[in-house]
Amino acid sequence: MNHFDAIVVGGGVNGLIAGTLLGRRGKNVCIVEKSDSFGGMASYSVDGGPTLAHSFYNLSPRALSDIGLDLQHPVLAGKPTSTVSLAEDGRHIVFSDEGVCWSDGTAHPDSKAWSDLTQQLITYGGLLRQLAEAPPPGGHKAVLSRGGMAEVLRLAKLGIGLKKLGKSDMRRFLQVVLSNVYDIVLDDLSDGPVAGMLAADAIWGAAAGPRSPGTVFNLIYRMGHGGTITQPAGGMSALTDLMVEAALKTGCVLMPGTEVSRVLVDKDAVSGVITTDGQTLNAPLVLSNLAPKPTSRMTGPSVFDIETMRRIRNIRARGTTAKVNLKLKDNMPLPGLPEGLANSRLIYAPSAEYVEAAFNPAKYRQKSKAPVIEAFKMQTADGSGWLSTIMQYAPSDLEGGWTEAAKDQLAQITVDTLGRALPGLKDHIAGRQVITPDQIESATGAPGGHWHHAEMSLDQLLTLRPANGMCRYSMGPKGLYLCGAGTHPGGDVMGLAGRNAALAALEEQP
Amino acid sequence: MKNLTTENRYDVIVAGAGHNGLTAAAYLSRAGMRVLVVEKNDWIGGAAVSRSLHEGWTYSNCSYVCSLLRREIARDLELPKYGLQVIPYEGGASFTRDGDYFAYYSDHNALKREMARHSARDADAYRRYSQSIMRQCRFIRPFLLRDAPDPASLRPRDLGEMAYLVKKAHGLGSRELGETLKFWTMSIGDFLDEHFENDLIKAHLAGSGIIGTGLGVYSPGTAYVLLHHYMGDIDGGIGAWGFARGGMGAISNAIAASFKDHGGTIHTGAGVERILSKDGRVEGVALEDGKVFHAPVVASNMDIKRTILHHVDTADLPDDFTKAVRNFKIRGSSAKLNIALDRFPNFPAAPEHTSFLRGDLHVSQSLFELEKAYDDWKLGRWSEKPYIDMLIPSQIDPTMAPTGAHMMTVFVQYAPYDLDVDGVRSADNWDDQQRKAMSETVLDQMAVACPDIRERVVHMEVRSPLEIEREVGLTEGNIFQGELTFDQLFFNRPVPGWSQYSLPIKGLYLCGSSAHPGGGVMGAPGANAASAILRNETRHGRMKGYAA
Amino acid sequence: MSIFTDPKLGLIPAAFHKKLEEQNRAKSCYDWAGYAAPGVLDSVEFEYFALRNQSSVFDISPMHKYRLTGPDTTAMLNRLVTREVRKIAAGRVGYAIWCDEEGMVIDDGTLFHLGDNDWRLCCQEPMLTWLLDAAWGFDVAVRDETHSVAGLSLQGPTSYAVLEAAGLDVSALKTFDLVQIEPDLMISRTGFTGDLGYELWCDWDKAEDLWDRIWKGGLHQGLRAIGYEAVNIARIEAGFLTAGVDFQPVHATERLHRGQTPFELGLSRLVDFEKGHFNGRRALLSKRDAPRSLLMRFDVEGFKPSEGSLIYNQRKKVVGHITSGIWSPTAKRNIALAHVRMPDARRSSSLMAEIYTLQEGKWDTRMARLTPVTKAFFAPPRARVTPPART
Repeated sequence: MNHFDAIVVGGGVNGLIAGTLLGRRGKNVCIVEKSDSFGGMASYSVDGGPTLAHSFYNLSPRALSDIGLDLQHPVLAGKPTSTVSLAEDGRHIVFSDEGVCWSDGTAHPDSKAWSDLTQQLITYGGLLRQLAEAPPPGGHKAVLSRGGMAEVLRLAKLGIGLKKLGKSDMRRFLQVVLSNVYDIVLDDLSDGPVAGMLAADAIWGAAAGPRSPGTVFNLIYRMGHGGTITQPAGGMSALTDLMVEAALKTGCVLMPGTEVSRVLVDKDAVSGVITTDGQTLNAPLVLSNLAPKPTSRMTGPSVFDIETMRRIRNIRARGTTAKVNLKLKDNMPLPGLPEGLANSRLIYAPSAEYVEAAFNPAKYRQKSKAPVIEAFKMQTADGSGWLSTIMQYAPSDLEGGWTEAAKDQLAQITVDTLGRALPGLKDHIAGRQVITPDQIESATGAPGGHWHHAEMSLDQLLTLRPANGMCRYSMGPKGLYLCGAGTHPGGDVMGLAGRNAALAALEEQP
Repeated sequence: MKNLTTENRYDVIVAGAGHNGLTAAAYLSRAGMRVLVVEKNDWIGGAAVSRSLHEGWTYSNCSYVCSLLRREIARDLELPKYGLQVIPYEGGASFTRDGDYFAYYSDHNALKREMARHSARDADAYRRYSQSIMRQCRFIRPFLLRDAPDPASLRPRDLGEMAYLVKKAHGLGSRELGETLKFWTMSIGDFLDEHFENDLIKAHLAGSGIIGTGLGVYSPGTAYVLLHHYMGDIDGGIGAWGFARGGMGAISNAIAASFKDHGGTIHTGAGVERILSKDGRVEGVALEDGKVFHAPVVASNMDIKRTILHHVDTADLPDDFTKAVRNFKIRGSSAKLNIALDRFPNFPAAPEHTSFLRGDLHVSQSLFELEKAYDDWKLGRWSEKPYIDMLIPSQIDPTMAPTGAHMMTVFVQYAPYDLDVDGVRSADNWDDQQRKAMSETVLDQMAVACPDIRERVVHMEVRSPLEIEREVGLTEGNIFQGELTFDQLFFNRPVPGWSQYSLPIKGLYLCGSSAHPGGGVMGAPGANAASAILRNETRHGRMKGYAA
Repeated sequence: MSIFTDPKLGLIPAAFHKKLEEQNRAKSCYDWAGYAAPGVLDSVEFEYFALRNQSSVFDISPMHKYRLTGPDTTAMLNRLVTREVRKIAAGRVGYAIWCDEEGMVIDDGTLFHLGDNDWRLCCQEPMLTWLLDAAWGFDVAVRDETHSVAGLSLQGPTSYAVLEAAGLDVSALKTFDLVQIEPDLMISRTGFTGDLGYELWCDWDKAEDLWDRIWKGGLHQGLRAIGYEAVNIARIEAGFLTAGVDFQPVHATERLHRGQTPFELGLSRLVDFEKGHFNGRRALLSKRDAPRSLLMRFDVEGFKPSEGSLIYNQRKKVVGHITSGIWSPTAKRNIALAHVRMPDARRSSSLMAEIYTLQEGKWDTRMARLTPVTKAFFAPPRARVTPPART
């Protein structure tokens, strides 16, 4: 049976959520995934090592409940994790709901300033979340249409939310949201590992440094769901397995190991897809979990306007993040880290200035010699211990390319950098995996190996995401939709892009 | 209170005789107000000034070219009658290190052919590029002489201005509105990369996106900075730049003459020590020389930081306001060389009889080079290869130098205010030795275009951000009285909630570039502040005018 | 040092400039895409009548010319222009327009189908980056031939005879046919005058040889070199549009709404919604039935040329303006092309033009009644006869 109501191309988190949601609304859905397992970037791993993503902080409860997942599920509950900002002098800094203290338990002088700022950003994040849970404003022609009215109501609600902040906070919001994280953080905090941690959290996955205007938005975005960081029980693949289960439960047909070579278009409407193994699957609705550019490659450029193709080509997606997995010799505690912090999220970002300096070389297609790092100590399914690290900046378009030598250097830089705060770390390492942005791109299709398929800069957000004129998820011929991280509101194992896209598709093809 | 005679009593006192202060004063005196302008220097003009530091030569020490000055202001204040003449200049060029150049001609056919010499594709793409810039100029220009509405306010005036904004935005159509939003939030580097392929052309066009800011060509928001330099005009030629005959001081002098001709008084040689207030209401100013003048309204042409943190009692101000002012970003990022030349320097790359040497000349090779210049600045150093904007106005303005000799103005980006020397960052590090070292770096850059430059120098004035701060009074030597970033523009300028020229002390106004719409020799903040003062203060009868 | 002799400034010569220079008694030139092009060489009347009565040559080298080759050229062009290009056979020329994503006309031009996967686009506006954008993702090479291919327009009743005398047999050539008649010479039966005529295309550096050869052929045919002013009269008589005059190319507008759809320009016959997607198709579908204005042809009362006049409806409201207006020496009518806003364009029987006149130092206005005309003002049958007449 090759006839479906809808085909989802790509089974990443957003694809799974979009497909499942459509399935729950009575559509007969097929989800096609080129690799043998689902989950895309969230659960991609090499040889059983740690997955690309190693925690979630932005997973949308709304998206989960829309696909019938129980929010109390033990996998989702996982374990919330505290954050530790590593210091070379061994006085690591611990962040918790109570504030900031040094690892020896004494309070940090910036504790209150940090808590106030974080709280403020979380409040703003809650406001922005309202925007994230619907298609972005604009793009609807008629205000009086159903969608138009809904949009006006939504904006009114946001306006009321803003008003509720009070005049002075509302004004502050409109200033802060456009600002750069370096200035905002250093206005209230002295530069050091506390400021460094906030600066780092504003730039993960981005081709931007803390001084780049707009980076506060990234930080707020990250805190849209409260900012709590969770490691799912059983790892990220347990999370994506849960989504696969939900998809199957609604009757979605899952086709792993199947790659779509072409999306079929007839009379300006999609009619199905052809796979590389020669199957034709028919459906009047195709949702692509891929970024706009690879999606346009599947349809051919002739079904889009020339301006649309130009905008798609101009979408910036320079991945800057590499995954370096360090296999540990044993399950002993990491050197220089108190026992109680062993399972925390470790950040290496000694100062905001350091983070900015780490970004400099990436602008010129070089890797950081002094990178910003996020690390988790974890165990994989086979019981082996790993230090799973995200290292930045490692640009996808590295000058000279990502040769084996360049990858070795990257691993060495990571170990050396962490070693400054965790002396002797290198003696604990038994092996290492380096997953560079270009490798992420070839494995998952994400342009430039970019976390969000497209840079989350102000000129590529909201109404301008993925590009001007395309913010309502539909693209080109009737029935073609984008549902991946390249669309509003972006990636981060959040699921809202997939959910919003499915709802947009349902609005037009109920 | 003493000395309450009419002699030291005014309706409005303007603190600082920069071009915006003078503009505000001139509008107010024309409205019948008794206005006093006080200035700390012995001369007027602030950063729009002409000075003769070497006999026979006149320097435009700070600002050096003119475009943004609003036509409305020139007409309202009758500036031509008081001696102002602005002459547009043609073209410009960027020189390469291997003896070639890219010339920017105002003759669009010549420009197209010259671009095609570097890239046929870019020559064609330039049309789309300039069209989109012009569309943005068309959108923004009406806002320059209007107040920025407070989005948190429900006052009819704010709602009215907001409605005007919405109407203008709506008029663009949804697609163009999207392009506008994108333009306003993107970097000049990305914008140029979307249009062009040639490094030299991109580098040439990028300069306007960073002049005067603490941002790099790839920092989001620099496309707007470029717009800020394009939205001016000379006689309707949007984006055209020119020289004021007699140097930039001619602008200030003309405004001052217009002001004085309408009964205004200028007191020079003593700056404001304190802005006096009582019960949250301005009462006048006390000067450094001990004089006290009284007025119900004081308009400060100083930047917001200097005004609030140095000259008023912050104890009387709301904490969040003072904090916002303290956090206002006003970063020194540029330096200036003013040079007296014995004769015209030799530009070996330029063909004989070329016209483009009359314009702005540069030597930056690529966007990466410009971005790296910014990285140096972040670390507290002047750029190893700075962006330079050099002009020889004496080719067009015969009053600037002795016949046959020339005057050259060289704007330098980037130079930090708090210079790093041996790991210590401080403005005090700017001593003669450092200034000399910086000028050597700049001369090396200039030598790319004119190798004989060192032999041509008769006299040279080197101005680091520290000199600009000390002499002109601009905090950290920032030429715009505050960074032109989204969080400090429009309703966020200078600080949220105070974008309409008034400040939390009643009767105290801001009339300089810290206020909307920002820096440049534009006059708009001064003119807008004057109308805010007339609107707010006359109805309370506090300002009596000459009738009193 | 004098800067006033900068050799890089100003206009540059087009392909036949040297030859035209010899005959440019009026010493007039205007800027045609950066080339020095003659507006009038001697006197407009005589040049015009050479065109309508005998024959004329006009240098069209400043036209932008782009060569498009490669296996996907037809597909790429079909996505670019609004008409079905597969209907333009090899050896044929087609008139086409192309739109932006909002359905606003970017430019019009002629598509020369030179051979298999080999096309040339000839148009008024520079189009290189747009064509490169349009070709992205297609296997098509785009080459700018503007300055490498010369074009000479030979128009008028004796033009066939001129070619014959020059040793060029084009007797079989029908309108909109093209032929590579010699290795270095292509001839198409096309033109911008509505009359019998040909356009001759050769390498830029062979232009002067071609001129000499044609000139010799025209010795007994009354051949005359002409400037744009004469051509302009002829093209208005034929009802042809000029970019930037009768329509505003949308890429050259700052106010985007000033663009016009093909429907507003009366070119709906060039829009084929059935052929598959083309640029602006989705926008045009929604704009098809809602033109904001119409480009109309009018017969203008009186004799005064009406260019630049405002058009009033019965209630004395301005509802449009005249874009091109001349006295037609051949049709003996005062004719005009004009934009009229809806709905007045549909009730066009009561429109008046306000024409400004300057007589002996005195400006005045007069109101002239406008009568809509549907066909071309002048369309002689000789233009379409094959083989053509020699006179």
